[in-house]
Amino acid sequence: MSLVDFSSDAFIVAFFLYCFAFMFYVIAIAGKKWSNRDPEQHERRWGRIAFGTSSLGLAAHLAFFFTRWAGSGQIPTSNMYEFMTFLGMSIMIAFTIVYFIYRKALLGMFALPLTVIIVAYASVFPQEVQPLIPALQNVWLKVHVTTAALGEAFFAVGFAAGLMYLLRVVDFKGKTKEARRSQFWVEFSLYTIIVIVGFIFAVFAFRGAGYEAQFVQEQSKIDTKGIESTTTETVDYTLPPIVKPYNSQAVSIESFLGMEEPLFEAPYWMNGVNSGRKLNTVVWSVIAGTLLYGLLRLVFRKPLGAVIHPVMEGIDPEDLDEISYRSIAIGFPIFTLGALIFAMIWANIAWGRFWGWDPKEVWALITWLFYSAYLHFRLSRGWQGLRSAWLAVIGFVIVLFTLIGVNLIIAGLHSYSGV
Amino acid sequence: MSLVENTKCECGHQNAVGTVLCESCGKPLDKNDQSDMPLEMRYDGVARRSQKTNPNVIDRVWNFFSSVKIAIYLIVLTFLTAMLGTIYPQENTFVNNFDPSVYYEETYGLPGKIYYLLGLTHTYESWWFIGLLVMIGTSLVICSLDRVLPLYRALNKQQIRKHHQFILRQKTVFKRRIEGEETKWADGFAAQLKRQGYRIHRDGTALLAEKNRFSRWGPYINHIGLILFLLAVLARSIPSWQLDTYITVPDGDTVQIADTNYYVKNEKFTVEYYKDEELPDKLKGTARAKLFETKAVLYECVSSCGDPLKEPELKEVKRHDIVVNEPLKYKGLKLYQFDFDTTPRLNEVRPVLVDKQTGDTYGPFDLPMKDSAPQHKLGPFTLDLYANYMEFSIDENGEPVTLSRDPVAPAFIFTVKGPGLDPAGEPYLYFPMQKDKVKFSQDAINAAIADKIEIRVDGMENVDFSEASTYLNVRMDRALPYVWIGAAFSMLGLLMGSYWQHRRIWLRIDQGELALGAHTNKNWYGMRSDVAKALGKTGIAVDPKSLDNGGNNA
Repeated sequence: MSLVDFSSDAFIVAFFLYCFAFMFYVIAIAGKKWSNRDPEQHERRWGRIAFGTSSLGLAAHLAFFFTRWAGSGQIPTSNMYEFMTFLGMSIMIAFTIVYFIYRKALLGMFALPLTVIIVAYASVFPQEVQPLIPALQNVWLKVHVTTAALGEAFFAVGFAAGLMYLLRVVDFKGKTKEARRSQFWVEFSLYTIIVIVGFIFAVFAFRGAGYEAQFVQEQSKIDTKGIESTTTETVDYTLPPIVKPYNSQAVSIESFLGMEEPLFEAPYWMNGVNSGRKLNTVVWSVIAGTLLYGLLRLVFRKPLGAVIHPVMEGIDPEDLDEISYRSIAIGFPIFTLGALIFAMIWANIAWGRFWGWDPKEVWALITWLFYSAYLHFRLSRGWQGLRSAWLAVIGFVIVLFTLIGVNLIIAGLHSYSGV
Repeated sequence: MSLVENTKCECGHQNAVGTVLCESCGKPLDKNDQSDMPLEMRYDGVARRSQKTNPNVIDRVWNFFSSVKIAIYLIVLTFLTAMLGTIYPQENTFVNNFDPSVYYEETYGLPGKIYYLLGLTHTYESWWFIGLLVMIGTSLVICSLDRVLPLYRALNKQQIRKHHQFILRQKTVFKRRIEGEETKWADGFAAQLKRQGYRIHRDGTALLAEKNRFSRWGPYINHIGLILFLLAVLARSIPSWQLDTYITVPDGDTVQIADTNYYVKNEKFTVEYYKDEELPDKLKGTARAKLFETKAVLYECVSSCGDPLKEPELKEVKRHDIVVNEPLKYKGLKLYQFDFDTTPRLNEVRPVLVDKQTGDTYGPFDLPMKDSAPQHKLGPFTLDLYANYMEFSIDENGEPVTLSRDPVAPAFIFTVKGPGLDPAGEPYLYFPMQKDKVKFSQDAINAAIADKIEIRVDGMENVDFSEASTYLNVRMDRALPYVWIGAAFSMLGLLMGSYWQHRRIWLRIDQGELALGAHTNKNWYGMRSDVAKALGKTGIAVDPKSLDNGGNNA
């Protein structure tokens, strides 16, 4: 068995350990109210089991990372799959550090599902080892990517704590305008997370069924001499085409639930690489996510925020506020170092300029400015607690857009492959 | 509020206008503030310059930029505008000459046109974006100065015995009757705090314990670094501080770097591709470049530079094999491998002239694609160069034109004089490349003269061509050292301010009544556990959480 094969096995082990750890954290917190037990002792005991499991998971994940590194001869952070798994691992490292400071089992209940989703999301992308193009062969790249991801992982923990804060303090029975608005946005955040889960489900379901469709797309380009040239490209779909690429003809479409033809065509202005396919994927994610959300609503018969809220009872919201703030404060210098300073050093080595306003660079700067605004807001009265929890949630959305959205929507120097 | 505010504290200390807590004993000065809520401890309640009465114009500007609220607005505005700049590619991402006024509308339609008209196609060079950065810089300077000086004063002369109200209105508070000797208890407690790394100041039964004061300077060091960084970035717009251009150098050519005295020669360009067995299945058969290298020589012009009539005199100054990440560096000038083109390009041919009537050949003669001699004498024949095309084509009027200045499809029109030809000369069209000869049917155009003479190349040894061209990126940036110094300062400040916290504990015992208050600028959790631990070791077990006096986490 080669090292790379071993590392794939370690990855699967890590994934399942994370899933179990998540369940144990839920038992540790939600099980406190079960009869015939001392709540504090129960939380301590199950908290320890859960933390042990998640640490084992992290160990397996580290084993995956280093054996893949040894097996492929290059640090596994060079494509979307490798980067996202690394981000998941960083979140676990950040979570472990924060856990050592605050020893709150509750945090695991939110950090673990986040890791599980990100790791599952990573698995959607092609997993083979790809050789690096010359521009990417440099030690500063490794340092830049890993440090930036670690900083972002602390922001992710800050986000988890912020979301917990919201679920804890938002009044889910309130009828006032403000309460309703908070309820709506908390529910919307949860829905968004479920859409991402829906995306993963949809991709794996159709991949498991071996679904395929193919289109030929015509693209016309006008070069510098004003001569129009037309190129044709084949676009492979792994999800049934609800949206077909702009200006394209179907080559083969497997019928799905009687759907033989694409329903829409992608608009002309979406002319990024494979934008039609990406739009189709987004449509499918929303459909799958909405179905999943609807199913959960049917089971619980109330908003998901109101379902989770009671579990959070008895938790001091100030602790959550503190943990959220602290994670972000710990992550900020790491992020600055990794995503800006090391990035500038590397850009200067690779392209001879430390800053080039590449979309990815701009979005890293936006993230940094956002979190510096957050840290300054914390100095002002009235911005702790609820408002800062919202900022932690929005901040992580910006982080995710910088990491994934920029690559998938805006092309630039950092383009990776997409689904 | 009366016009002249009484700012003298009951302890006798005269405070500046705007002071919240007496600089000496810490008693809240606002008479209306009678609550038990935790105190506002920012900058220890000292007055800042921006809190002057009767502000003049300079004061008003100062006050505007000294506000953290304004700073936050500026930050938010900057990142919102930065977002807009990423919607469509910026103008500077296009290496080739292109016309933005047409490009954006053609590519993105109406939204693209609006984007261009709003100036968002060069967001980061626009006056308003740079203006925002300058305002952030100003805000950094003023906010910092406005706060760091009063803070320094406040921390430099701290009174140990604080007012009861000051101690008991901290965010972390403990109150208890203690048994036994007061000084002895204080000694024991001080010893515990010392073990935790606190510096202890005593005044009888009053105590001030302090640690990591240096972390308070972190934000200011960070801000100094950011200012340096911003200044360095702005300095790059000074002419000759920065250069960023692209040059194409075919194999064997020497090309001048625009706006400089330097010339660069590409002695040999090589490219190596990944072999199929090195690639995963999906990428097999694709040409994925593994390594590309330019053997480059840098020359400096020493005399007759810029004189169009004379050849410049060049002196070799540096020789380097340029690969990605390994540029040629010379006195701040850097040449980076940017891209390459493996289309072969014709540099020179050495054709002969054949007199078809006698069968004699004359020549060969040198015919470079660029800057050929205007006349060639070959035995009895004379060739006068009438026209020279780099990329030959026929336009819609049937006239010959050139599409570019690169020798992609070179063509020559000679006026030929000699035996058997019109004494005034006959035109002869010559394509050095066989493909063009066929494509444009050279013989048909030349008609009658094609039967009398022929210009042709005998053998590949008479053809000189470049196999590839290398694209180099030329850069110069004199502000760079300052950029790194700024970044280093900023990072140092961030680490100081984020990973250490300034913690202070005040304590006084009056008639067996212990009053303890503690303050930190960050991480109240750690502050409480420090106090709880020291109390625990002196025999008072408390839950850290119970020390919390409410209020917000700063």
